[in-house]
Amino acid sequence: MSAGSYFRRFWQYYAMLFLPILFFGLFKYGPMYGIIIAFKDYNIFQGMWTSPWNGLETFRTVFSMHTFSTAFRNTFLLNIIDLLVSFPAPIILALMLNEVMRSRVKKVFQTVMYFPHFVSWVIIGGLFLQIFATNTGIVNQMLNNAGYDSIPFLTNRYWWLITYLAAGVWQSVGWGTIIYLAALTGINKELYDAAETDGAGRMRRMWHITLPGIRPTIIILFILAIGEMPRIGFERPYILGNAMVSDFSEVLSTFVYKIGLQTGEFSIATAVGLFQSVIALVFLLSANALSKKFTDQGIM
Amino acid sequence: MALVTVGCGNGQQAGPSSASSTPGASSAPSASATPKQKSTLRIEQFDRGKSFPPGLAVNDQEGTRYAQREFGDPNNIKLEYVPVPRSQEVEKLNVLMASSDAPDIVFTYDESLAHKYMEQGGLMDLAELIDQYGPNIKSYLGETLQYGQWDGKQLAIPAKRAFTGITSYMIRQDWLDKLKLPIPETTEQTYEALKAFRDNQLGGQGTIPLGLALHPDEYIPLVMALIKDPTEEQYYTGMQRLGLQEYPILMDGHKDVVRTLNQWYHEGLISPDFGLDKDQKVRKQGVSTGKVGLYSEQAAQSYEDPEGGIQATLAKNVPGGSVVPANPFTNDKGKRVKELNPPTGMYVMVPKTSKAAAEAVQYLNWLAQMPVMLHYTFDGKDYEMKDGIPVKVQQDLPDEKKIFNSSDILIVTNGLDLGMQQSNVKSLGASYPEELMEYAMKAFEYSLTDAVTVHYFPKPIAAETKYAQILKGKYEELLVKSMLAKPADFDKTYDDMLKQYLASGGEEVHKERVAAYADMKK
Repeated sequence: MSAGSYFRRFWQYYAMLFLPILFFGLFKYGPMYGIIIAFKDYNIFQGMWTSPWNGLETFRTVFSMHTFSTAFRNTFLLNIIDLLVSFPAPIILALMLNEVMRSRVKKVFQTVMYFPHFVSWVIIGGLFLQIFATNTGIVNQMLNNAGYDSIPFLTNRYWWLITYLAAGVWQSVGWGTIIYLAALTGINKELYDAAETDGAGRMRRMWHITLPGIRPTIIILFILAIGEMPRIGFERPYILGNAMVSDFSEVLSTFVYKIGLQTGEFSIATAVGLFQSVIALVFLLSANALSKKFTDQGIM
Repeated sequence: MALVTVGCGNGQQAGPSSASSTPGASSAPSASATPKQKSTLRIEQFDRGKSFPPGLAVNDQEGTRYAQREFGDPNNIKLEYVPVPRSQEVEKLNVLMASSDAPDIVFTYDESLAHKYMEQGGLMDLAELIDQYGPNIKSYLGETLQYGQWDGKQLAIPAKRAFTGITSYMIRQDWLDKLKLPIPETTEQTYEALKAFRDNQLGGQGTIPLGLALHPDEYIPLVMALIKDPTEEQYYTGMQRLGLQEYPILMDGHKDVVRTLNQWYHEGLISPDFGLDKDQKVRKQGVSTGKVGLYSEQAAQSYEDPEGGIQATLAKNVPGGSVVPANPFTNDKGKRVKELNPPTGMYVMVPKTSKAAAEAVQYLNWLAQMPVMLHYTFDGKDYEMKDGIPVKVQQDLPDEKKIFNSSDILIVTNGLDLGMQQSNVKSLGASYPEELMEYAMKAFEYSLTDAVTVHYFPKPIAAETKYAQILKGKYEELLVKSMLAKPADFDKTYDDMLKQYLASGGEEVHKERVAAYADMKK
């Protein structure tokens, strides 16, 4: 059918799209002209248009900062270990929950697992301090009373990585599980019945039917995760980090906060942001291309 | 707000209506005729997140209404207070200034930020306006005005900081009594006392002889008190000004101090988790639950709030528990060196885009007179003169008559300057309950003994403005890591961290300071 009649037939869907598109237009694409701040010696009084240009000077300054290279390395470090652990966790949980027969139990678990997603990192940070502090935290006090040495959860940088990771998994696994569970409902029940008849055990059914069934979801989420590598949330590393683990806890987002916002160096903040976005785009396109090549599936 | 401006009488009544003999506050006499049409003056105000009684708000309470009555109405100016959250004052101020919709009067405690605005040309030159409208500003803020100058222009009016002492040490008197020890007055005596605290576990299990937090009010006094007595040159070239205070990282003897602290830490004399205690909460809790023996804090802070403050809570938790001020550390010359706050408080500025600059200066001039300052200092309550010091009178005011957040409105001064150091100390102590007054005054006195003021260069150090935040973090990292390192690894850890510090901008700051010092000495 012609474009006109197609539109007339499905106009409700386009109407629903209107608000999200407006949102992206106003808040994501609109402000993009602000990128020029990265190429200017931004003076807040002269504003964006009349501040003097300084080309790549800001980038040169930023890249030569010792703290920047540490922040850059840490961003990738934290994101990679997150990917390795936080990515499979919801999949495994979803698979396990899927096997649970009693739908009542399933629903309870789903709801309860989702809760941590809503807790603010500020609260989590305070909680973790009470629980995991090296000398005064509850866990270490119990260990000490039982005769063991304290475990430096928050003060040794390697232990801190584990704590950081655990906090992330605890907070996000519920949300990811819901997504995969939704994907699981799309698998044809008959496939399971047929496999059972053929004598496939639980694990084999999972491996041959369930996993392939949610493969598209996994791939899409994986590509998105790769695309987000150069970026990292601000709250988690900032709240959980401290002076003793700053070797690992200083990331690009905390760097931008400290340099860009606290000292008013907007040029630097914008330059780092632009840098992150460019790399993120490269990562995303590459991951997508690779995925299409090997699995015939991609986002674009 | 409308009910305040309409129908209010003119501002000729005497100041606080009370039995005391305070002269009436005069509204600012404008040198020129009162403007014919009503102008609006927008003033920034800190919002500290406290909730207000119904009908009142942070920018609509007796504090703001008083200003409207006494200053705004007689001069036909409408005052509009613009609230800004205290914890985000820097970020929000940046946004306001960039939007060219900033209030006519803005301010910040952050000196580097003020310098940045001056450098970028966003502030109005107030020299002429002060000449015209600001006689009170000139007389009260005379010497402070120089700190607000840039390139020969008066781009900010720094508030006067009446009292520049910062911290004092506090020690458990009851512990000393138990051990039959006097209040220690030298580093050696203090070291012995700390060991005795530990050996006798006077606070029960988990006794902390020297409470410490990762906060400049606690670690800077400790380092400065123990470091080798600095020469004048060292003060300029070895210090680095990161924020309000100076950090002695490149001073002669800094490594030795940290080595001593490392030793003390491993002897179990210092708060074990101090590296995680960025907001002093854990250390403060340690004091109120009776575990900590000696600690540093803002002078007399433990005595604030006689109901729920630190001393009060300690007394509740531990019968007979009390903390008293001490000056426990001496350096190699027997001096008890500590730092002072700069003689300036807030930097009050008028953006270049303001259309009400004259009114702004008039407002500040009105604030800078004794009756008004006294009125705000006592939150609108009565006060009386005792021995030449104004002292508050117990009075219960209904909420509508109380002044909230008075120090946020009285932006021209940080504390009241009564003209003499002794008077300032006395008047500070006077606000404490009877039985603590003497101790509070001692704490304020101690914060001034052998204290050194900020060492200013003629022009601010550009690298410090740029790297202050990063370097502060790196210093704290160096301190924590070096103190926690095993004694055998101390040298390597300290040297590594120092290298990192220098690479993160510390070297640049040092070079600039050395050059500026050489210039100064020419």
